[in-house]
Amino acid sequence: MSGSWTSAHRLDEYLQAARLGIDPDRVELSLDLTAGIAVAEVVLSEIDRDKNGMISAAEARAYADRVLSAIALDVDGIPLRIELVESTFPAFDTVRSGAGTTRIQAVAKMPRLDDGLHHLRYRNAYRSDIGVYLANALVPASDRVTVAAQRRDIDQRNLVIDYRLSGQPAPAARRGLSVGVAGALILIANVWWRTRTRRREDL
Amino acid sequence: MSVPFRIATMTCLAVTVIAAATLPAQRAATSPGPSGSQADVTARITTSAQALLTKLDDAGRAKVQFPFEGPQKTRWSNLPSPMFERRGLLMADLTPTQRAAVKELLAVALSREGYRKVTEIMQGDEVLRKSSSQGARGGGRGPAFGEDQYYLAFLGTPSATAPWMLQFGGHHLAINLTLAGTQATMAPSLPAAQPATFTVEGRTVRPLGNENDKAFALINALNADQRSQAILSSRVADLVLGPGHDGKTIQPEGIRATALSAAQQTMLWELVREWAGIINDAFAEPRMAEIRARPADTYFAWSGPTTNGSAAYFRVQGPTLVIEYAPQQGSVDHIHTIYRDPTNDYGAKFAK
Repeated sequence: MSGSWTSAHRLDEYLQAARLGIDPDRVELSLDLTAGIAVAEVVLSEIDRDKNGMISAAEARAYADRVLSAIALDVDGIPLRIELVESTFPAFDTVRSGAGTTRIQAVAKMPRLDDGLHHLRYRNAYRSDIGVYLANALVPASDRVTVAAQRRDIDQRNLVIDYRLSGQPAPAARRGLSVGVAGALILIANVWWRTRTRRREDL
Repeated sequence: MSVPFRIATMTCLAVTVIAAATLPAQRAATSPGPSGSQADVTARITTSAQALLTKLDDAGRAKVQFPFEGPQKTRWSNLPSPMFERRGLLMADLTPTQRAAVKELLAVALSREGYRKVTEIMQGDEVLRKSSSQGARGGGRGPAFGEDQYYLAFLGTPSATAPWMLQFGGHHLAINLTLAGTQATMAPSLPAAQPATFTVEGRTVRPLGNENDKAFALINALNADQRSQAILSSRVADLVLGPGHDGKTIQPEGIRATALSAAQQTMLWELVREWAGIINDAFAEPRMAEIRARPADTYFAWSGPTTNGSAAYFRVQGPTLVIEYAPQQGSVDHIHTIYRDPTNDYGAKFAK
Protein backbone atom coordinates (compact mmCIF):
# COMPACT_ATOMS: atom_id res chain seq x y z
CA MET A 1 0.00 0.00 0.00
CA SER A 2 1.21 3.49 -0.72
CA GLY A 3 0.70 6.78 1.01
CA SER A 4 -0.65 9.85 -0.65
CA TRP A 5 1.99 11.70 -2.64
CA THR A 6 0.38 14.96 -1.77
CA SER A 7 0.77 14.55 1.97
CA ALA A 8 4.53 14.24 1.75
CA HIS A 9 5.78 17.45 0.26
CA ARG A 10 5.31 20.78 -1.48
CA LEU A 11 2.17 20.93 -3.61
CA ASP A 12 1.33 23.86 -5.86
CA GLU A 13 4.48 25.94 -5.58
CA TYR A 14 7.71 26.14 -7.52
CA LEU A 15 10.42 26.79 -4.94
CA GLN A 16 13.33 28.78 -6.35
CA ALA A 17 16.14 29.07 -3.82
CA ALA A 18 19.08 31.29 -4.71
CA ARG A 19 22.38 31.64 -2.92
CA LEU A 20 24.81 34.33 -3.98
CA GLY A 21 28.51 34.26 -3.29
CA ILE A 22 30.27 37.59 -3.80
CA ASP A 23 33.93 37.74 -4.71
CA PRO A 24 35.79 40.94 -5.61
CA ASP A 25 35.81 39.97 -9.27
CA ARG A 26 32.66 37.87 -9.67
CA VAL A 27 29.33 36.68 -8.30
CA GLU A 28 28.49 33.00 -8.09
CA LEU A 29 24.80 32.17 -8.27
CA SER A 30 23.43 28.80 -7.15
CA LEU A 31 19.79 28.19 -7.91
CA ASP A 32 17.74 25.21 -6.70
CA LEU A 33 14.38 24.68 -8.36
CA THR A 34 11.85 22.30 -6.80
CA ALA A 35 8.41 21.97 -8.36
CA GLY A 36 5.56 20.79 -6.16
CA ILE A 37 3.60 17.82 -7.40
CA ALA A 38 0.63 19.94 -8.48
CA VAL A 39 2.79 22.11 -10.75
CA ALA A 40 5.35 19.51 -11.80
CA GLU A 41 3.65 18.78 -15.11
CA VAL A 42 3.59 22.47 -15.95
CA VAL A 43 7.30 22.75 -15.24
CA LEU A 44 8.12 19.52 -17.09
CA SER A 45 6.28 20.74 -20.16
CA GLU A 46 8.68 23.67 -20.22
CA ILE A 47 11.71 21.40 -19.93
CA ASP A 48 10.74 18.38 -22.01
CA ARG A 49 9.86 20.27 -25.16
CA ASP A 50 9.67 17.18 -27.41
CA LYS A 51 7.37 15.45 -24.89
CA ASN A 52 9.28 12.17 -24.98
CA GLY A 53 9.35 11.77 -21.19
CA MET A 54 13.07 12.40 -20.92
CA ILE A 55 15.22 15.44 -20.28
CA SER A 56 17.93 15.62 -22.91
CA ALA A 57 21.15 17.59 -22.50
CA ALA A 58 19.94 20.12 -25.05
CA GLU A 59 16.61 20.53 -23.26
CA ALA A 60 18.38 20.91 -19.94
CA ARG A 61 20.71 23.56 -21.34
CA ALA A 62 17.85 25.43 -23.01
CA TYR A 63 15.77 25.38 -19.83
CA ALA A 64 18.65 26.57 -17.64
CA ASP A 65 19.28 29.43 -20.09
CA ARG A 66 15.57 30.30 -20.04
CA VAL A 67 15.52 30.45 -16.24
CA LEU A 68 18.66 32.59 -16.14
CA SER A 69 17.24 34.97 -18.73
CA ALA A 70 14.50 35.82 -16.21
CA ILE A 71 17.06 36.66 -13.55
CA ALA A 72 18.82 40.02 -13.39
CA LEU A 73 21.92 40.99 -11.50
CA ASP A 74 23.47 44.42 -11.22
CA VAL A 75 26.09 46.02 -9.06
CA ASP A 76 25.65 49.70 -8.27
CA GLY A 77 23.20 49.82 -11.17
CA ILE A 78 25.62 48.27 -13.65
CA PRO A 79 23.99 45.19 -15.25
CA LEU A 80 25.98 41.97 -14.96
CA ARG A 81 26.03 39.28 -17.61
CA ILE A 82 25.02 35.93 -16.10
CA GLU A 83 26.67 32.87 -17.62
CA LEU A 84 25.60 29.30 -17.06
CA VAL A 85 28.32 27.16 -15.50
CA GLU A 86 26.43 23.89 -15.16
CA SER A 87 23.03 22.44 -14.46
CA THR A 88 21.92 19.12 -13.05
CA PHE A 89 18.43 17.75 -13.52
CA PRO A 90 16.80 14.90 -11.62
CA ALA A 91 15.09 12.09 -13.52
CA PHE A 92 11.86 12.97 -15.28
CA ASP A 93 9.74 10.87 -12.89
CA THR A 94 11.45 12.40 -9.85
CA VAL A 95 10.44 15.86 -11.02
CA ARG A 96 6.95 14.57 -11.72
CA SER A 97 6.70 13.21 -8.15
CA GLY A 98 7.43 16.65 -6.73
CA ALA A 99 10.65 15.47 -5.12
CA GLY A 100 13.21 16.51 -7.69
CA THR A 101 15.45 19.52 -7.42
CA THR A 102 17.10 21.05 -10.47
CA ARG A 103 20.35 22.78 -9.65
CA ILE A 104 21.74 25.61 -11.76
CA GLN A 105 25.17 27.13 -11.22
CA ALA A 106 25.95 30.44 -12.87
CA VAL A 107 28.54 33.16 -12.63
CA ALA A 108 28.71 36.86 -13.44
CA LYS A 109 31.90 38.84 -13.82
CA MET A 110 32.12 42.00 -11.72
CA PRO A 111 33.39 45.28 -13.14
CA ARG A 112 36.43 46.78 -11.46
CA LEU A 113 35.15 48.46 -8.31
CA ASP A 114 36.78 50.83 -5.87
CA ASP A 115 37.05 49.98 -2.21
CA GLY A 116 33.95 50.96 -0.26
CA LEU A 117 30.26 50.20 -0.07
CA HIS A 118 28.54 48.54 -3.04
CA HIS A 119 25.11 47.14 -3.74
CA LEU A 120 24.47 43.89 -5.58
CA ARG A 121 20.88 43.59 -6.75
CA TYR A 122 19.30 40.22 -7.61
CA ARG A 123 15.87 39.97 -9.23
CA ASN A 124 14.11 36.73 -10.11
CA ALA A 125 11.09 37.05 -12.40
CA TYR A 126 10.90 33.41 -13.39
CA ARG A 127 7.42 31.85 -13.14
CA SER A 128 6.07 34.31 -10.64
CA ASP A 129 2.63 32.74 -11.14
CA ILE A 130 3.68 29.61 -9.24
CA GLY A 131 7.03 30.60 -7.75
CA VAL A 132 8.01 30.94 -4.13
CA TYR A 133 11.46 32.28 -3.54
CA LEU A 134 14.45 32.24 -1.24
CA ALA A 135 17.44 34.49 -1.76
CA ASN A 136 20.47 34.60 0.51
CA ALA A 137 24.02 35.85 0.47
CA LEU A 138 26.66 33.31 1.35
CA VAL A 139 29.42 34.30 3.74
CA PRO A 140 32.04 35.62 1.30
CA ALA A 141 35.03 33.41 0.70
CA SER A 142 37.25 36.46 0.21
CA ASP A 143 38.32 38.47 3.26
CA ARG A 144 38.15 41.55 1.04
CA VAL A 145 34.35 41.31 0.95
CA THR A 146 32.10 41.95 3.95
CA VAL A 147 28.33 41.76 3.71
CA ALA A 148 26.80 44.73 5.52
CA ALA A 149 23.09 44.02 5.02
CA GLN A 150 20.57 42.08 2.98
CA ARG A 151 17.36 43.79 1.88
CA ARG A 152 14.55 41.82 0.28
CA ASP A 153 11.00 42.28 -0.84
CA ILE A 154 8.47 40.25 1.13
CA ASP A 155 8.53 37.34 -1.34
CA GLN A 156 12.33 37.22 -1.67
CA ARG A 157 12.10 37.68 -5.43
CA ASN A 158 14.34 40.70 -5.05
CA LEU A 159 17.42 40.89 -2.89
CA VAL A 160 19.88 43.72 -2.47
CA ILE A 161 23.14 42.82 -0.80
CA ASP A 162 25.00 45.79 0.63
CA TYR A 163 28.66 44.86 0.89
CA ARG A 164 32.01 46.48 1.51
CA LEU A 165 35.01 45.89 -0.68
CA SER A 166 38.33 46.63 0.94
CA GLY A 167 42.08 46.26 0.67
CA GLN A 168 43.31 45.82 -2.88
CA PRO A 169 45.31 42.61 -2.55
CA ALA A 170 49.01 42.30 -3.12
CA PRO A 171 49.41 40.18 -6.23
CA ALA A 172 49.50 36.60 -5.01
CA ALA A 173 52.59 35.72 -7.00
CA ARG A 174 54.54 38.64 -5.55
CA ARG A 175 53.35 37.81 -2.03
CA GLY A 176 54.38 34.17 -2.45
CA LEU A 177 57.74 35.20 -3.90
CA SER A 178 58.44 37.48 -0.94
CA VAL A 179 57.77 34.74 1.56
CA GLY A 180 59.87 32.30 -0.45
CA VAL A 181 62.82 34.69 -0.74
CA ALA A 182 62.71 35.50 2.97
CA GLY A 183 62.66 31.82 3.85
CA ALA A 184 65.51 31.03 1.48
CA LEU A 185 67.64 33.87 2.91
CA ILE A 186 67.18 32.62 6.45
CA LEU A 187 68.08 29.09 5.38
CA ILE A 188 71.18 30.18 3.44
CA ALA A 189 72.31 32.37 6.31
CA ASN A 190 71.86 29.55 8.75
CA VAL A 191 73.89 27.11 6.62
CA TRP A 192 76.57 29.74 6.05
CA TRP A 193 76.82 30.50 9.77
CA ARG A 194 77.00 26.80 10.70
CA THR A 195 79.65 26.13 8.04
CA ARG A 196 81.73 29.05 9.20
CA THR A 197 81.45 27.99 12.84
CA ARG A 198 82.46 24.42 11.97
CA ARG A 199 85.53 25.69 10.03
CA ARG A 200 86.60 27.81 12.97
CA GLU A 201 86.24 24.82 15.28
CA ASP A 202 88.31 22.68 12.82
CA LEU A 203 91.03 25.27 12.87
CA MET B 1 76.45 39.56 10.44
CA SER B 2 76.00 36.01 11.58
CA VAL B 3 74.56 37.01 14.91
CA PRO B 4 71.43 38.72 13.56
CA PHE B 5 70.75 35.74 11.33
CA ARG B 6 71.29 33.39 14.19
CA ILE B 7 68.88 35.45 16.28
CA ALA B 8 66.33 35.40 13.47
CA THR B 9 66.63 31.66 13.10
CA MET B 10 66.34 31.07 16.82
CA THR B 11 63.35 33.42 17.00
CA CYS B 12 61.55 31.49 14.26
CA LEU B 13 62.25 28.25 16.03
CA ALA B 14 61.10 29.66 19.37
CA VAL B 15 57.84 30.94 17.89
CA THR B 16 57.18 27.56 16.33
CA VAL B 17 57.94 25.73 19.57
CA ILE B 18 55.75 28.07 21.62
CA ALA B 19 52.88 27.75 19.11
CA ALA B 20 53.16 23.98 19.17
CA ALA B 21 53.36 23.90 22.94
CA THR B 22 50.26 26.06 23.42
CA LEU B 23 48.17 24.22 20.85
CA PRO B 24 47.03 21.48 23.23
CA ALA B 25 46.08 24.13 25.77
CA GLN B 26 44.07 26.05 23.19
CA ARG B 27 42.33 22.84 22.17
CA ALA B 28 41.59 22.00 25.78
CA ALA B 29 39.99 25.40 26.25
CA THR B 30 37.45 24.71 23.53
CA SER B 31 37.19 20.99 23.92
CA PRO B 32 34.35 19.24 25.69
CA GLY B 33 34.40 18.77 29.48
CA PRO B 34 35.43 15.58 31.21
CA SER B 35 36.43 13.23 28.44
CA GLY B 36 36.17 10.20 30.68
CA SER B 37 32.41 10.17 30.64
CA GLN B 38 32.40 10.84 26.91
CA ALA B 39 34.73 7.92 26.32
CA ASP B 40 32.47 5.78 28.47
CA VAL B 41 29.41 6.79 26.48
CA THR B 42 31.13 6.07 23.18
CA ALA B 43 32.13 2.68 24.55
CA ARG B 44 28.51 1.99 25.56
CA ILE B 45 27.19 3.06 22.16
CA THR B 46 29.81 0.84 20.52
CA THR B 47 28.87 -2.10 22.72
CA SER B 48 25.19 -1.64 21.81
CA ALA B 49 26.05 -1.45 18.12
CA GLN B 50 28.16 -4.60 18.36
CA ALA B 51 25.36 -6.36 20.26
CA LEU B 52 22.98 -5.52 17.44
CA LEU B 53 25.43 -6.85 14.86
CA THR B 54 25.54 -10.21 16.67
CA LYS B 55 21.76 -10.46 16.35
CA LEU B 56 21.85 -10.01 12.56
CA ASP B 57 22.56 -12.65 9.97
CA ASP B 58 25.18 -12.12 7.28
CA ALA B 59 22.69 -10.44 4.96
CA GLY B 60 21.61 -8.03 7.70
CA ARG B 61 25.21 -7.18 8.58
CA ALA B 62 25.95 -6.55 4.91
CA LYS B 63 22.97 -4.20 4.69
CA VAL B 64 23.84 -2.16 7.75
CA GLN B 65 27.56 -1.73 7.12
CA PHE B 66 29.04 0.98 4.87
CA PRO B 67 32.49 2.50 4.43
CA PHE B 68 33.07 5.54 6.62
CA GLU B 69 33.82 7.66 3.58
CA GLY B 70 31.41 7.33 0.70
CA PRO B 71 28.05 8.37 -0.68
CA GLN B 72 26.08 6.91 2.24
CA LYS B 73 27.28 9.77 4.46
CA THR B 74 25.13 12.33 2.67
CA ARG B 75 22.31 9.95 1.74
CA TRP B 76 19.61 11.44 3.97
CA SER B 77 16.50 13.50 3.38
CA ASN B 78 13.22 14.73 4.79
CA LEU B 79 11.39 12.90 2.02
CA PRO B 80 9.80 9.48 2.50
CA SER B 81 11.15 6.43 0.73
CA PRO B 82 11.14 5.63 -2.13
CA MET B 83 10.80 9.25 -3.22
CA PHE B 84 14.25 9.39 -1.69
CA GLU B 85 16.23 6.18 -2.01
CA ARG B 86 17.71 5.15 1.32
CA ARG B 87 20.04 2.26 2.02
CA GLY B 88 20.67 0.34 5.19
CA LEU B 89 18.80 -1.95 7.51
CA LEU B 90 15.05 -1.39 7.16
CA MET B 91 13.06 -1.67 10.38
CA ALA B 92 10.32 -3.56 8.53
CA ASP B 93 12.79 -6.38 7.87
CA LEU B 94 13.79 -6.89 11.50
CA THR B 95 12.61 -9.41 14.07
CA PRO B 96 11.23 -8.10 17.38
CA THR B 97 14.55 -8.96 19.05
CA GLN B 98 16.52 -7.08 16.43
CA ARG B 99 14.18 -4.09 16.67
CA ALA B 100 14.62 -4.06 20.41
CA ALA B 101 18.37 -3.96 19.88
CA VAL B 102 18.02 -0.95 17.56
CA LYS B 103 15.90 0.86 20.13
CA GLU B 104 18.44 0.04 22.82
CA LEU B 105 21.18 1.47 20.64
CA LEU B 106 19.25 4.69 20.02
CA ALA B 107 18.44 5.00 23.72
CA VAL B 108 22.15 4.84 24.56
CA ALA B 109 23.24 7.15 21.75
CA LEU B 110 20.66 9.83 22.44
CA SER B 111 19.59 11.78 25.48
CA ARG B 112 16.27 10.94 27.10
CA GLU B 113 14.71 13.96 25.34
CA GLY B 114 16.38 13.05 22.08
CA TYR B 115 15.07 9.52 22.23
CA ARG B 116 11.57 10.82 22.98
CA LYS B 117 11.75 13.17 20.03
CA VAL B 118 12.92 10.48 17.62
CA THR B 119 10.28 7.96 18.70
CA GLU B 120 7.54 10.59 18.56
CA ILE B 121 8.56 11.65 15.05
CA MET B 122 8.27 8.00 14.03
CA GLN B 123 4.91 7.70 15.80
CA GLY B 124 3.75 10.73 13.87
CA ASP B 125 4.68 9.04 10.64
CA GLU B 126 2.68 6.02 11.73
CA VAL B 127 -0.29 8.31 12.29
CA LEU B 128 0.30 9.74 8.81
CA ARG B 129 0.32 6.21 7.38
CA LYS B 130 -2.95 5.32 9.05
CA SER B 131 -4.64 8.57 8.12
CA SER B 132 -3.37 8.50 4.56
CA SER B 133 -6.08 7.80 2.03
CA GLN B 134 -4.17 4.90 0.54
CA GLY B 135 -2.40 3.65 3.66
CA ALA B 136 1.30 3.02 3.28
CA ARG B 137 3.88 0.34 3.55
CA GLY B 138 6.06 1.20 0.65
CA GLY B 139 4.44 -0.92 -1.98
CA GLY B 140 4.04 0.45 -5.47
CA ARG B 141 5.56 3.80 -6.33
CA GLY B 142 3.97 5.84 -3.57
CA PRO B 143 5.72 7.10 -0.46
CA ALA B 144 6.17 4.64 2.37
CA PHE B 145 5.07 6.04 5.71
CA GLY B 146 5.09 4.50 9.16
CA GLU B 147 7.39 3.24 11.89
CA ASP B 148 8.56 0.35 9.72
CA GLN B 149 10.06 2.68 7.14
CA TYR B 150 13.19 3.82 8.97
CA TYR B 151 16.72 2.74 8.15
CA LEU B 152 19.80 2.13 10.25
CA ALA B 153 23.35 2.26 8.89
CA PHE B 154 26.84 2.09 10.37
CA LEU B 155 29.54 3.93 8.46
CA GLY B 156 32.87 2.48 9.46
CA THR B 157 33.23 -0.17 12.12
CA PRO B 158 31.68 0.60 15.51
CA SER B 159 34.63 1.45 17.73
CA ALA B 160 35.28 3.04 21.10
CA THR B 161 38.21 4.99 19.70
CA ALA B 162 38.24 5.14 15.89
CA PRO B 163 35.82 7.33 13.89
CA TRP B 164 32.53 5.80 12.79
CA MET B 165 29.02 6.98 12.21
CA LEU B 166 25.56 5.88 13.23
CA GLN B 167 22.89 6.92 10.76
CA PHE B 168 19.19 6.50 11.44
CA GLY B 169 16.43 8.02 9.40
CA GLY B 170 13.39 7.97 7.23
CA HIS B 171 10.57 10.34 6.45
CA HIS B 172 11.05 13.54 8.48
CA LEU B 173 14.04 12.21 10.35
CA ALA B 174 17.78 12.10 9.77
CA ILE B 175 20.13 11.38 12.65
CA ASN B 176 23.80 11.49 11.67
CA LEU B 177 25.87 10.72 14.76
CA THR B 178 29.62 10.74 14.17
CA LEU B 179 31.76 9.36 17.00
CA ALA B 180 35.50 9.27 17.57
CA GLY B 181 36.43 8.26 21.09
CA THR B 182 35.87 11.27 23.35
CA GLN B 183 34.35 13.37 20.58
CA ALA B 184 30.99 13.22 18.86
CA THR B 185 28.67 15.37 16.80
CA MET B 186 25.13 14.98 15.59
CA ALA B 187 25.45 17.55 12.82
CA PRO B 188 23.88 17.54 10.35
CA SER B 189 20.56 16.20 11.56
CA LEU B 190 16.99 16.77 10.53
CA PRO B 191 14.15 16.37 13.01
CA ALA B 192 10.80 17.16 11.41
CA ALA B 193 7.15 16.35 12.04
CA GLN B 194 3.91 15.69 10.22
CA PRO B 195 1.48 15.74 11.85
CA ALA B 196 3.00 18.07 14.39
CA THR B 197 0.24 17.33 16.91
CA PHE B 198 -1.52 14.01 17.35
CA THR B 199 -2.88 11.75 20.04
CA VAL B 200 -1.65 8.34 21.11
CA GLU B 201 -3.82 6.46 23.58
CA GLY B 202 -5.50 9.68 24.58
CA ARG B 203 -2.22 11.52 25.13
CA THR B 204 -1.43 14.61 23.04
CA VAL B 205 1.95 14.24 21.34
CA ARG B 206 3.93 17.13 19.85
CA PRO B 207 7.35 15.88 18.73
CA LEU B 208 8.62 19.41 18.12
CA GLY B 209 6.30 21.16 20.56
CA ASN B 210 9.11 22.40 22.81
CA GLU B 211 10.94 23.93 19.87
CA ASN B 212 7.81 25.76 18.79
CA ASP B 213 6.81 26.96 22.24
CA LYS B 214 10.27 28.06 23.33
CA ALA B 215 10.74 30.04 20.12
CA PHE B 216 7.41 31.84 20.45
CA ALA B 217 8.19 32.54 24.11
CA LEU B 218 11.50 34.09 23.11
CA ILE B 219 10.17 36.28 20.30
CA ASN B 220 7.41 37.49 22.62
CA ALA B 221 9.95 38.28 25.33
CA LEU B 222 11.68 40.80 23.06
CA ASN B 223 10.89 44.51 23.24
CA ALA B 224 9.95 46.49 20.15
CA ASP B 225 13.52 47.49 19.34
CA GLN B 226 14.79 43.95 19.72
CA ARG B 227 11.96 42.63 17.57
CA SER B 228 12.78 45.07 14.83
CA GLN B 229 16.26 43.55 14.75
CA ALA B 230 15.09 39.95 14.95
CA ILE B 231 12.16 39.92 12.56
CA LEU B 232 13.02 39.68 8.88
CA SER B 233 10.98 41.68 6.42
CA SER B 234 10.44 38.76 4.06
CA ARG B 235 8.67 35.42 4.07
CA VAL B 236 10.91 32.36 4.36
CA ALA B 237 9.29 29.57 2.40
CA ASP B 238 11.53 26.68 3.42
CA LEU B 239 14.81 25.62 4.96
CA VAL B 240 17.70 27.49 3.39
CA LEU B 241 20.31 24.89 4.36
CA GLY B 242 18.24 21.72 4.23
CA PRO B 243 19.33 18.34 2.83
CA GLY B 244 21.88 18.58 0.03
CA HIS B 245 23.38 21.85 1.23
CA ASP B 246 26.40 20.64 3.12
CA GLY B 247 29.35 22.99 3.34
CA LYS B 248 27.43 26.21 2.70
CA THR B 249 27.29 29.09 5.14
CA ILE B 250 24.77 31.86 4.63
CA GLN B 251 25.24 35.38 5.92
CA PRO B 252 23.74 35.52 9.43
CA GLU B 253 20.76 37.80 10.06
CA GLY B 254 18.58 38.85 12.95
CA ILE B 255 19.41 40.00 16.45
CA ARG B 256 22.73 39.21 18.09
CA ALA B 257 22.58 37.21 21.29
CA THR B 258 24.54 39.97 22.97
CA ALA B 259 21.64 42.34 22.28
CA LEU B 260 19.44 40.13 24.45
CA SER B 261 19.11 40.42 28.20
CA ALA B 262 20.54 37.66 30.37
CA ALA B 263 17.09 36.12 30.76
CA GLN B 264 16.45 36.29 27.02
CA GLN B 265 19.85 34.73 26.32
CA THR B 266 18.94 31.87 28.63
CA MET B 267 15.75 31.39 26.64
CA LEU B 268 17.77 31.34 23.42
CA TRP B 269 20.20 28.72 24.72
CA GLU B 270 17.33 26.59 25.99
CA LEU B 271 15.81 26.78 22.53
CA VAL B 272 19.12 25.71 21.00
CA ARG B 273 19.30 22.81 23.45
CA GLU B 274 16.25 21.28 21.79
CA TRP B 275 18.55 20.36 18.90
CA ALA B 276 22.00 20.28 20.50
CA GLY B 277 20.58 18.14 23.31
CA ILE B 278 19.27 15.30 21.13
CA ILE B 279 22.66 13.64 21.44
CA ASN B 280 23.65 11.84 24.66
CA ASP B 281 24.09 14.31 27.55
CA ALA B 282 27.82 13.58 27.79
CA PHE B 283 28.25 15.23 24.39
CA ALA B 284 25.38 17.70 24.62
CA GLU B 285 26.83 19.66 27.54
CA PRO B 286 30.20 20.50 25.95
CA ARG B 287 28.38 21.28 22.71
CA MET B 288 26.14 23.75 24.53
CA ALA B 289 29.20 25.31 26.15
CA GLU B 290 30.78 25.73 22.74
CA ILE B 291 27.67 27.42 21.35
CA ARG B 292 27.14 29.68 24.38
CA ALA B 293 30.76 30.84 24.22
CA ARG B 294 30.13 32.97 21.11
CA PRO B 295 27.10 35.19 21.90
CA ALA B 296 28.45 38.15 19.93
CA ASP B 297 28.49 36.03 16.78
CA THR B 298 25.21 34.21 17.37
CA TYR B 299 22.00 35.50 15.79
CA PHE B 300 18.28 34.82 16.18
CA ALA B 301 16.08 35.60 13.18
CA TRP B 302 12.31 35.32 12.80
CA SER B 303 9.87 35.46 9.93
CA GLY B 304 6.11 35.37 10.33
CA PRO B 305 3.47 36.07 12.96
CA THR B 306 4.45 36.08 16.63
CA THR B 307 1.31 34.54 18.10
CA ASN B 308 1.89 30.95 19.19
CA GLY B 309 -0.16 28.68 16.99
CA SER B 310 0.83 30.58 13.85
CA ALA B 311 3.19 29.30 11.21
CA ALA B 312 6.51 31.10 11.67
CA TYR B 313 10.05 30.43 10.50
CA PHE B 314 13.06 31.00 12.73
CA ARG B 315 16.80 30.52 12.57
CA VAL B 316 19.60 30.48 15.12
CA GLN B 317 23.03 30.88 13.60
CA GLY B 318 26.46 31.10 15.12
CA PRO B 319 30.02 30.27 14.12
CA THR B 320 29.46 26.57 14.84
CA LEU B 321 25.69 26.41 14.57
CA VAL B 322 22.80 26.63 12.15
CA ILE B 323 19.29 25.78 13.29
CA GLU B 324 16.29 26.39 11.05
CA TYR B 325 12.63 25.73 11.78
CA ALA B 326 10.37 25.98 8.74
CA PRO B 327 6.64 25.27 8.62
CA GLN B 328 5.78 23.88 5.20
CA GLN B 329 3.43 25.88 2.99
CA GLY B 330 2.09 27.82 5.95
CA SER B 331 1.01 24.74 7.89
CA VAL B 332 1.69 24.42 11.61
CA ASP B 333 1.11 20.69 11.24
CA HIS B 334 4.03 20.06 8.89
CA ILE B 335 7.38 21.22 10.19
CA HIS B 336 10.89 20.78 8.81
CA THR B 337 13.96 21.66 10.86
CA ILE B 338 17.70 21.36 10.33
CA TYR B 339 20.64 21.30 12.73
CA ARG B 340 24.14 21.93 11.42
CA ASP B 341 27.64 22.77 12.54
CA PRO B 342 29.33 24.50 9.58
CA THR B 343 32.72 23.69 11.09
CA ASN B 344 32.02 20.11 12.08
CA ASP B 345 29.28 18.48 9.98
CA TYR B 346 29.93 14.72 9.92
CA GLY B 347 32.72 15.27 12.45
CA ALA B 348 34.94 17.07 9.94
CA LYS B 349 37.08 18.40 12.80
CA PHE B 350 37.97 15.08 14.35
CA ALA B 351 36.89 12.21 12.13
CA LYS B 352 39.73 11.98 9.64
